[in-house]
Amino acid sequence: MTSRTPLLLGASAGACALALAVAAPATAAPAADGDDKAMVSVFHGVPGLTVDVYANGDELLSDFEPGTVTDPQSLDAGTYEIQVFEAGQGPDGTPAVEKEIDVPAGANATVAAHLSADGTPQLTAFTNDVSEVDAGKSRLTVRHVAAAPAVDVRAGGQPVFKGLENPKQDTAVVDAGTVPADVVLAGTDTVAVGPADLNLEEGTSNIVYAWGSAEDKNLALATQTLSGMESAPNTVNAGGSGAAATPNSSDEWLAWAAVTGMVALTGALLIRRTASRRG
Amino acid sequence: MGDVSRRLTGLTVATAALAAVLTFGATPAEQASPPPDFGGATAADATTSEASPGAASDRAGPSSRVRSALPPQRILIDTVGLDARIRPVGVTGAGDMAVPSDPAVAGWYRFGPAPGSNRGSSVLVGHVDGDTGDLGEFASLYEVRPGDPVEVRRAGAEPARYRVTARSTVPKDSLPPSAFRRSGPPVLTLITCAPPFVPGRGGYQANLIVTAEPLTA
Repeated sequence: MTSRTPLLLGASAGACALALAVAAPATAAPAADGDDKAMVSVFHGVPGLTVDVYANGDELLSDFEPGTVTDPQSLDAGTYEIQVFEAGQGPDGTPAVEKEIDVPAGANATVAAHLSADGTPQLTAFTNDVSEVDAGKSRLTVRHVAAAPAVDVRAGGQPVFKGLENPKQDTAVVDAGTVPADVVLAGTDTVAVGPADLNLEEGTSNIVYAWGSAEDKNLALATQTLSGMESAPNTVNAGGSGAAATPNSSDEWLAWAAVTGMVALTGALLIRRTASRRG
Repeated sequence: MGDVSRRLTGLTVATAALAAVLTFGATPAEQASPPPDFGGATAADATTSEASPGAASDRAGPSSRVRSALPPQRILIDTVGLDARIRPVGVTGAGDMAVPSDPAVAGWYRFGPAPGSNRGSSVLVGHVDGDTGDLGEFASLYEVRPGDPVEVRRAGAEPARYRVTARSTVPKDSLPPSAFRRSGPPVLTLITCAPPFVPGRGGYQANLIVTAEPLTA
């Protein structure tokens, strides 16, 4: 089955998903416009601040509202000086936050502007795992980008991710479908965010950002969905008794018997004749 | 030696004649080998989602897939007497496509596009025969010919109409992933099982795949 190879590659690439600088799962998800491009989206998770985003001095986004995420766009691979300004303050003012971010060729990444655990704005680049998932499955990734302590993430009441800290992520491949999810303080049943229904469509990657500030009581969830990770089912077993493959009329059996018999008979004659010639 | 070769020729002729009688004598569903392929490379084969430029942006893009909200209800191919109810199916725990156990019922792969969608391969599957020995509705796919009209009835919409363009038999473990593609030109892909039948190895060893393309109005 041809999908096996990408699946394996995807799995090994997925293990490296924490560091953007590490090779992205480019094999399973080719970049849009060739080998020297990367797909980049931006998430804004700093509460109360509408911003403009600049890359190497050029405006990338304007009037970008908190809690939103952009569609991925194709960028040349390379190193970008990302600067986030309060809307209208760039590019000559003082950025709210800035960071040099390396975007490797073939990567699919989301740059998140968010609060650190102690409430300071910062930029974090996350690699998006866009490797294929098995048929019927969906990928769920949670990124802790809130000014809040470590959390557990529960889906359908069951902990899926435990002890997740800012600014880390955890990921799992789960059955496609809609699940109620919430975020609790790690090791407790104290709900910090949610519950919210997550619609995990088959063959997609769903990235949930837990963002905001616990102190300011504005913790929230935002979801980014990437599609195109589907793969075909392994096989299609659409047969039963074999009736459709088995000759079942008596005439046919007779005919088969005749052929078989004739072959056997002629074969025997030939062998005898050959034998007698030799003798 | 001349004697021998004459006899060999005679044998070949006799066998071929009998084989011919068998081939034409058996109804398609009764033959022990799958029916012949036709249609060559299909639209389904020609466009893999991995290769098409559009798919890369799909893959990286937001969830923008066009999905028909109209699940199919019934498939008819009048020329071969195929008439089956349809219910949505997904995958089994083992990652195989789920197939309705009743060979009179077809399954629609609900994770892919619905028949009538404007892109991708809509997949319907049906058992070729049941555990009790009955032939399934999809056994009629052994008899379809190029151009046969296919009608898929839907709730709340006009039937989606297609015509048969290709048929091929592939080993069960080499089902082309393009049969399940979610982008590219719209096709209807009908899948059932095909000989050889090996009881000790899970029964049928091949899949019969019939491709149909939309009738343009």
